[in-house]
Amino acid sequence: MGVILEVKNLTKKFAGLTAVNDMSFEIQRGEFVGLIGPNGAGKTTIFNVISGLEKPNSGSIRFDGRDITGMKPHKIVNLGLVRTFQLVRSFKFMTLLDNINVSCLSPRGKEIAKEYGIDEYSSTILGSVGLIDKARLPPVILPHGDLRKLQIGKALGTNPQLLLLDEPFSGLSHEEAVDITELIESLHSDGVTVFVTGHVLRELMGLVPRVIAMHQGKFIADGPPKEVANNKIVLEAYLGRGGTFA
Amino acid sequence: MKKRKDLKTVLNDFKSYLRFWIKTFRGQVTVLCLIGLAILPFITTNTYIIGIFNTFMIYTIFAASWDFLAGYVGQVSFGHAIFLGVSAYVTAFTVKFFLFPWWFALILGAFFAVLFGLIVGVPSLRLKGPYLALGTLSMSLILYELFKMSSLGLLWEATFPGTELFGTTGIGQIIIFTDIPQIFYIVIFIIMCVVVVFLTHFVKSNTGTILKAIRDDETGAKASGINTTKYKVIAFMISGFIAGIAGGLFTFRHTGVNPGIFQPLYSFYAIIMAALGGIATISGSALGAFIFVFLGEILRLLGDNPNITGTIGGFVEPIFVFSIILIIIIRFAEHGLLKPALERLKSLWDLILGR
Repeated sequence: MGVILEVKNLTKKFAGLTAVNDMSFEIQRGEFVGLIGPNGAGKTTIFNVISGLEKPNSGSIRFDGRDITGMKPHKIVNLGLVRTFQLVRSFKFMTLLDNINVSCLSPRGKEIAKEYGIDEYSSTILGSVGLIDKARLPPVILPHGDLRKLQIGKALGTNPQLLLLDEPFSGLSHEEAVDITELIESLHSDGVTVFVTGHVLRELMGLVPRVIAMHQGKFIADGPPKEVANNKIVLEAYLGRGGTFA
Repeated sequence: MKKRKDLKTVLNDFKSYLRFWIKTFRGQVTVLCLIGLAILPFITTNTYIIGIFNTFMIYTIFAASWDFLAGYVGQVSFGHAIFLGVSAYVTAFTVKFFLFPWWFALILGAFFAVLFGLIVGVPSLRLKGPYLALGTLSMSLILYELFKMSSLGLLWEATFPGTELFGTTGIGQIIIFTDIPQIFYIVIFIIMCVVVVFLTHFVKSNTGTILKAIRDDETGAKASGINTTKYKVIAFMISGFIAGIAGGLFTFRHTGVNPGIFQPLYSFYAIIMAALGGIATISGSALGAFIFVFLGEILRLLGDNPNITGTIGGFVEPIFVFSIILIIIIRFAEHGLLKPALERLKSLWDLILGR
């Protein structure tokens, strides 16, 4: 056990707008944590800063005991921290297998993958996310739900310790959301620490044992979903004053 | 537990790939063209014809190096003339003044081209899209002007008496090339084949997959743990080395070198040839170079014709014609002519065979 991610006084500003305002929290190894907040709360920005795509204005991030503040994104991935994107990214003109191959060819991924053969290892990953029958197809023709599975597969190729999933449920039909939920749950039970964001609360609340809530860049609550859902400040953030949760 | 593929497996894979490839229409057309090219020096001794084919093959190498960088790694360079020029000068001078054997001078030239390319090009790799193009273009322009500067020329003459910075001639002392032009032809032919085969298979390797990922989505590649800067530099070096080989061969072909080799025009030639044949199809460079050289020669002959002067004379200016062709290609055949041409050829062939 132990703290796998420690965020301290993190602040990120964009030309006058403070997207992340003095956020601090800790995540233990093996935890399953949600990050909620209305649109524009700063969830993606926090993920961008933690994963190295953006540099914070102040504050620090420690991953697995190491200070990773301001480190280059690919270096952070090779330490075991990988994130997926809200707007699905893929290598559009390569096969799904090649898409996964890229992650498996990262220094960290290669350590494991080369024992089995890169293609074989990628095929196993495609199988575990339920896409093996589409291995030779390019992402351009896939439905949205499959692309989200592909993203998770690509993240798995790097052999992550901590997985940051940015809005993995957005834009999914009910069946697709169920698929993704099962996938994420099985990843967690395999030992991967998972940190998930969402702004539709119902799907997240039933999934995670702990939720951090933020609003306008600031931390507002941290605890079991039921508590956070009944927190006055959280309610005000989502519903304005005088609202209640259904 | 599977180990990395050893040499024997790689060769076997290649052999079975060849057996498959030779059965495809494209493979057969390629083999026919290669045989045609290979026997040319034995069915004619006309130096003019051999010379044009030499230029064609050298340009194929040059265009292929550009196509690799632009089509497979997504780095569109507008300064490929830098590699051509640096290598041409180094090759020329080491052969003329240090009397190095030609193959050593060639490799040395390519090596210096890469070195120079790294110094001026790597900063440009931080730029993307149009800015990368501008960066590489301006670097090559600077070099062109530098080599033309007369004050620098005086300094040069003091260090290397009897020559000018503006170039040198007399590389014709590579006797084996001048006495038996067929040998030069065969040498270029072999180099061209090696380069094209290497590049075609390199892009299918694991490193090639990474490079293509950088082309498709560089941020996504970084998010997959790839050090994209490292790979872009590697690709740049490979592309530069091959372009440098073309530069050295260019020197031998023209038995001399001058600042003109740094003209951005040569960079544009590479782009035109690669685009004509098809970006991201290494062998398309051959088709593009072929069209470019032969059409260019026809235009030159037309331009030299005393009956064609004035405004009409302007219309047969090669760069003008090729710019128009490029615009037409982009509009109607943006993936180049190689694939459509092969398709048309195949349907024609099927028709002839009554399928």
